[in-house]
Formats: sequence, structure tokens, C-alpha cells
Amino acid sequence: MKALIAFGTVFMIFVLAIPINADGKGELKKYFSKTASKVKTTESAVEKRKILNESFQNMNEALDKVQNSGLISKEDYFEIDRFKATLLEKQNELEGKNGYERVPDAQLNAFTNYVVQDMEQAVGTITISVLTLVLIIVLIILLL
Amino acid sequence: MRKPNSRLVKSALYPRIFLCIGCAGLIVFLSSCSGGLPVQREFKMVEKDSLAVQYSLLFIIHGDGDYLYHDSSGNKYNADEETLAEAKKIAEENPRAEVFIFHQKPGSYFLFFFPLRDGEFYYYRNGQLIANESYWRDDEQSNLDNEVEFYHRFRANNQHEMASIFLYFGHEIPEFGGAGYDASYPDRTFTVHDLANGLKGFRSDSVRFDLLILSTCFGGTPYTIDMLGSYARTIIASPDNLHLSYFDLHLLEHLENSLPDGGIPSFAKRFARQSFDRLTRDIQTAVSVAVYDVDRVQEFLHSVHRFYSNTLTTFKGNTRISSAKIGHCDCAELPEYLLPTIYEGVDVFYRPAQFGRLKNKKSHSGWECWKNEDQNMQHSQTPEPVLK
Repeated sequence: MKALIAFGTVFMIFVLAIPINADGKGELKKYFSKTASKVKTTESAVEKRKILNESFQNMNEALDKVQNSGLISKEDYFEIDRFKATLLEKQNELEGKNGYERVPDAQLNAFTNYVVQDMEQAVGTITISVLTLVLIIVLIILLL
Repeated sequence: MRKPNSRLVKSALYPRIFLCIGCAGLIVFLSSCSGGLPVQREFKMVEKDSLAVQYSLLFIIHGDGDYLYHDSSGNKYNADEETLAEAKKIAEENPRAEVFIFHQKPGSYFLFFFPLRDGEFYYYRNGQLIANESYWRDDEQSNLDNEVEFYHRFRANNQHEMASIFLYFGHEIPEFGGAGYDASYPDRTFTVHDLANGLKGFRSDSVRFDLLILSTCFGGTPYTIDMLGSYARTIIASPDNLHLSYFDLHLLEHLENSLPDGGIPSFAKRFARQSFDRLTRDIQTAVSVAVYDVDRVQEFLHSVHRFYSNTLTTFKGNTRISSAKIGHCDCAELPEYLLPTIYEGVDVFYRPAQFGRLKNKKSHSGWECWKNEDQNMQHSQTPEPVLK
């Protein structure tokens, strides 16, 4: 009986904590900030590019999975599309594709700051539901 | 001596324990649900020989949303808390000012069920904290009714002799819709129109604020400047994105030095320049700070009013256009707005993003417009009745 009550209490805390701590956007921002920290502590430009690329790919993969989950609304689907487009622009610029000049090695630290700031602004303007945000965060954690 | 019967003791003790718990619960419930009972209230008397108030500053700091940002070292900050600390510092360092600070906080609960007050008010005069009170924000539409009430209760009498500055800090204020601006209350709406209503309440004597500082993204649109311009002579806003570290406020710390003679237009330009310099030093994304002389921009606003209103009407009325497909652009990119008067009355400090598609953009008109990213709606519209 006691175990059941304890389980019920923990479950309720988690259920209630989701709407209260619906700081999913903050988690997305932390993801890019962590990537930037890794990039800046790395000396090699090749390694910096690899870290940035993997970060974009992981995020993209998580967003794809959420879009294909069938659990999200049409509006959220479009919002994620817009977010993915912003990510793709960053990836193209890093690699010098789709009309972009490749980001020079010497500017990779500045570029990673730009990614953090631009994605913070992009995350601030997306209006996706808490459920979708939670799904994205869970998938990012699983993919990392 | 006979030992008391433990069952009897328990039967007498348990009802008392339950009664105590019940009373405590009732007190908590009443204190968290009663609208008029302050959680925290602090008043101090002003000394009779205090300095005459020459400056009136009114801060509204929106914090009910995602305001987390990171600096280039990876340190994280909450924009509203940083701004609140800076506003308090400004209040303490201005012996000739009265300063109103309203911090709009996220909704929170005590024991999951009992709502706590979601606003905190500070009033400083002559560098001293006079009042500090928690309050409830508006329930449904955000017209700033409670903030207006506090303002009129505490303000000094000689308003006409003061330089008045209104400052708003938050995310981009929607020009239509407005649901979801408060993260804690997704159904509550807040729009530019609501902010204008709040300003009308603050300025019940029809005297405009000398300066309005709108520290949000995309504040420099024809509609926003037109709406808020009824309540301010000069406006500082960012037509493009504005990083959450906001405008630099150091110039407000000693107004007796930086604004000695009430010369607001020159002060506004120095404020914008200083904000621009600080932002360009730290930020890689676009930086734009514009100063609008409200009277001088009227001709341009009048000329483009119909186009802009049509765009808003189209976006508001067309449910097929997803919000994800509506974007911003410099008004100068749209032929309807590229008029000889577009640069009249606007001083713009602009630096493009250091990366991205627009990194070579040389200048900004100071006016931001809407565009449908799927098709350029602005070109295909026929004029219709305006919003105003």
C-alpha cells in the first residue's frame, strides 16, 4: 500500500511538473549553447565543423521523428518545418552549399555564437505546443 | 498511578491534529485566493525635505515566457531578472526621480493548487524604495488595468514639470491575435492595441510620455509606432530582431548628468547609439536600433496606413495562412512603402547579421513590414477599409 502511495505521489509530481515546468524552449536553447561550448574548447577546425554538423543532424533527426510521430497538430508540423529551414540554412552556410560561402576556419567560434543567438531568437518565436516540445526534448536526449 | 489508556489519548488527540491541519489548509487557501490581500506589502514615508522629482520612469518587464539566453561564454541569464536588477539600480541612483517597476511574473502555485500573485510592483522616489507589493495581473485581456491603478495611486503631483520615460521589455508584441503571449495563460491575449490602451490609462491627462523605449523584437513597424505614438513624443525601438540582452540602460543611471536639461531628442540618440555599440560588440545576429520622432513620421505613416492595415486584415482574416508562413522584412523592400518620406523623422543604427543571407545588407529603413513567405501578398492586395 505504501509503495503504491509513493508511486502515485511521484507520478502526480511528474504529471503536474510538466505544465508547471514547461520550459521546453529553454532546453532547446541549452542544446545549442552546449554545442557552442564544445566547439570553443576544441582547437581543430575540422573537429569544430564535425561537432556543429552532428549537432544540426541530431536536432534535425529529432524534429523528423516528431513530425512523423502522428502525435502533433498541423500547425506544429509547419512550425517545425520553419525551424528546420532555419537549421538547414546554418548547415548550408557551414558547408558552403546552396549559394553560401563556406564559413572560414578562423570564424567558426563567431559562427557558433551566431548559431546560439539566432536559434535563441528562432526558438523564442516558434509557437509549438508543450507536447511537441516535450517530444523534441525527449528525442534529443535519446539521440545524444 | 494508573497509566492512561492509549486508545483514549489517541481518540482525543487525532481530532485536534485534523482540526489544526484543516485550519492551516484554510488559511493557505484564503491567503492564496483572496484578490485584495497582499502577500508582501512594504511602504516607507518620504522625508519632507527630499529633492524635487524631475524624472518619472515607468518600467514594465514581461517575464511570463521563455526569456533564457546565453552569453558567448555559455553563461545563462533570464532577461527579465537581469532587467529588473538594472531597473532597481537605476531607481536607486537617481535622487531626483520617481520610478515605477512592474515585473510581470509567470503564474505559479503553492502546493500545486493555490495560485500565487503573478505581478510585483516597486515604487522608488528620491532613490529610496517607497512601496513594494505583489499583485494580480489582469485576468483575461491584458490592458494593464492593475498597473495603471498603482501608477495613479503613487505618482508625484508635478507630472507636467517632469521628463517622463516609459520602458517596456518583452518579446515581440503581436499586432493581431496575441494569444499565448503569457506562457502561463495561453488563452490570455496581449497585443499592441492592449499596450496602447494601457498607455492611455497611464496618461489620463492626455500628456504624452517624452520618451517611450520599446525593448522588444520587431517594434519598429508602421502600425506599432502609429499606435504607441499617440502616447509618446519620441520612440526608441528595434525594427528587426532584438537580442534578449535588450537595450543598454546605463545612460539612465544618472539622469541628472545624462539628461540635465530635458533634451529628450538628443538623449534618445545617445541612448540608441550606446545600445547599438554594446549590442554590436556582443551579438552576431542583426542589430537595429531606431529613434522615431513621432510628429515627423506622421506623413509616412499616413501614406502607408492603408497598405499596412490591409496586410494585417488579410492575415487576421485568412485562416489558411499559417503563422509559420508569415515573416518580416524591411519595408524598403516593398515598393508600396518606398516613398520619399520613408526616412523622414527616423534615425537608424543598423548592422546586419555577421552570417546568413542578409550579411551584406547595407542599411535598414527603420521600418519593418510583414510578408507572406509563400507568396508576396503585399503586391496583390486591393485597398480595403482600414483598421483604425
